[in-house]
Amino acid sequence: MLELKNIHKSFNNNEVLKGVSIRVKKGDVIVILGPSGSGKTTLLRCINFLERADKGEIFFDDLRVNIRTASPADISRIRKRTAFVFQNYNLFNNKTALENVTEGLITARKVPKPEAIEIAKKALSKVGLSDRENYYPSKLSGGQQQRVAIARAIAVNPDVILFDEPTSALDPELTGEVLAVMKQLAREGVTMVVVTHEMSFARDVANHIVFMDGGVVIEEGSPDEIFSRPREDRTKQFLSRILPVWDYVI
Amino acid sequence: MRPFRFLFIPEVLFDLLPFLPVTLMMFAGSVFFGSLLGFVLARAKVRGRKVSGILADAYIAVMRCTPPIVLLFIVYYGLPELLLSTIGLDINAIEKGIFVLVTFTLLFGAVMSEIMRSAYESIDKGQWEAAVSIGLSPFQAFYRIMLPQATAVALPNFSNVLINLMKDGSLAFTIGLIDIMGKGNLIISKNFGAYALETYMALALIYWTLTLIIEKSFGYIEKSLSRGKRSIAE
Amino acid sequence: MDLNIRYMIDTFFLALTGVPVTLSITAVALLVSAPIAFFMAISRIYNIRIVKQVVSAYVSFIRGTPVVLQILIIYSLLPSWLNAMIKSLSWDINIFDMNPVIYAYIVFSLNTCAGLSEIFRSALLTVNKGQLEAALSIGMSAVQAYTRIIIPQAMVSALPNICNLTINLIKGTSLAFMMTVKEVTSIAKIAASYGYNYIESYLDILIIYILLCSVIQALFALVEKRIGSYKTLTGSAAKAV
Repeated sequence: MLELKNIHKSFNNNEVLKGVSIRVKKGDVIVILGPSGSGKTTLLRCINFLERADKGEIFFDDLRVNIRTASPADISRIRKRTAFVFQNYNLFNNKTALENVTEGLITARKVPKPEAIEIAKKALSKVGLSDRENYYPSKLSGGQQQRVAIARAIAVNPDVILFDEPTSALDPELTGEVLAVMKQLAREGVTMVVVTHEMSFARDVANHIVFMDGGVVIEEGSPDEIFSRPREDRTKQFLSRILPVWDYVI
Repeated sequence: MRPFRFLFIPEVLFDLLPFLPVTLMMFAGSVFFGSLLGFVLARAKVRGRKVSGILADAYIAVMRCTPPIVLLFIVYYGLPELLLSTIGLDINAIEKGIFVLVTFTLLFGAVMSEIMRSAYESIDKGQWEAAVSIGLSPFQAFYRIMLPQATAVALPNFSNVLINLMKDGSLAFTIGLIDIMGKGNLIISKNFGAYALETYMALALIYWTLTLIIEKSFGYIEKSLSRGKRSIAE
Repeated sequence: MDLNIRYMIDTFFLALTGVPVTLSITAVALLVSAPIAFFMAISRIYNIRIVKQVVSAYVSFIRGTPVVLQILIIYSLLPSWLNAMIKSLSWDINIFDMNPVIYAYIVFSLNTCAGLSEIFRSALLTVNKGQLEAALSIGMSAVQAYTRIIIPQAMVSALPNICNLTINLIKGTSLAFMMTVKEVTSIAKIAASYGYNYIESYLDILIIYILLCSVIQALFALVEKRIGSYKTLTGSAAKAV
């Protein structure tokens, strides 16, 4: 459904992505792992054109876009088929929870207002926040804000939702509620690409893991392959630093 | 239309610059006395005593609404009469500069007090408490701990109000003070109105330069202060 | 010191007739410069070449020179320019019959542009970049993102500064008498010169400015409370306001 081919991206002569390709099928839950600075977040942002990659192609079903020559219309088309969940939520501060969810429907997709409200209410109830519809972001906890952000993402019914470290800005006791919502979405068959450090989520929910380091994909495979039988040394190294802690927690 | 004579600008600059010290003295005097007044007003507000606090508030509110030129005229026409009728002092013959100084001290005091107060209040009370807890006297705590921090906070605003004060000071010519503006107008009338535009351009250049000097020097001070801050954070 | 109270009261009401002119200069300056100032701010934020340099120099010049000089420069420049323009267009207008308030509109618009663009720039910069990204990520266009998300938030931090600018603008219009505009200050000044009642006249002017500025401040406080409510209130409480 979604395919990225040979994505390159540099910031001030520092090459962050050195030709990354990934493929996402409908219903996939793909988790991208890797040490910080490996280019995971940049890759995700390039899909949604929040960063413009220097080189590469994006295939979205029948839509084929060369990133370097992508027109504003192409960008808009891709953005309307994807949704993005940010590390620091980025809820619109001047809108209530409900308005945050309806905004993309009404303004960007011209959905009639009553219909948009109905969709938004459903989305908020799915993330368990029906009782917070009229709260402004400043009155919500971090976990609640992130759940509203997820509702905002699912409301526009995108083909794929991109999650950029959705729990890393949260206090440990609040990550659970966000991960629970994400698991629920995965169970319903929502296609997701997730950058995260939550190993339990990666192992239990993902059907495909991509391990990145230094701007390239080191290896990819099923969670079982990556966690139990990693082939590359760098993957082993990375997991050995993270997994003992995780095993202990479980 | 008479053609614009560009070379008249450097020529007239030479005639104007000898009067720059008058402008600068008025400026420096207003800053000095205005800061003193501002300190008194800010102190009255911070201390939270009822009557003096309300008086300071009212004074600041009135000054905020007063056009400088209106206050200048009130002081110029009103002060001599007021002093004559109350304490019998005749200051009609006094230097015009005094009226200018009084006017801008009154205005600048109000502005300055707000800057001082907000800077002081932006500093965490815990700083003062910590200073006193290790045995500093209240004065030492203010002078050694609060003041340096508050100054750093106040600097950007301070630069702004200094620039405004200097520009407002250009109104002093309206009561006949011969500073650079006054001299400029004398030159224009001596030329029977010719080269007015060139003269005003020369004046604009002087004020622009003065503003840039204030701006740049404060920018430099701020930078060097924030450098200190970062090194502490590291 | 005796004040001529009778004169003061008469002049007060006479000077009040200048308030509409004072307010019209203020309103025109704000309305004309708002859109221009916005694009000036944007050009500086997005580093648009040449435009940015021109705008910076313009803002610096206006910020660096007294309003009174700006008035004197424009007033000695503009009539002959306009005259030449009108002649070349062979219109049948005598420039010297024109209401001098036009010059005041021009001077104070030029002046306000600079100040307002600085306010807009710093206000836009206070809005987190993530807000723009989030808006784009749900498919809004850049214009939609600005009008619906960025500008409403920027307005909250801009309002106190816009209030200040408006107060200073109103105070600044007191200099329009130099262009023979019949506003509050010039009316009272002219009245004073008949009987040398200067102090009374200037006190009248002062009272009028205090009233004007107080009303403006109260209005801004009201607006601030309205549009800033999202920062402090929950939805249900916000609806009640």
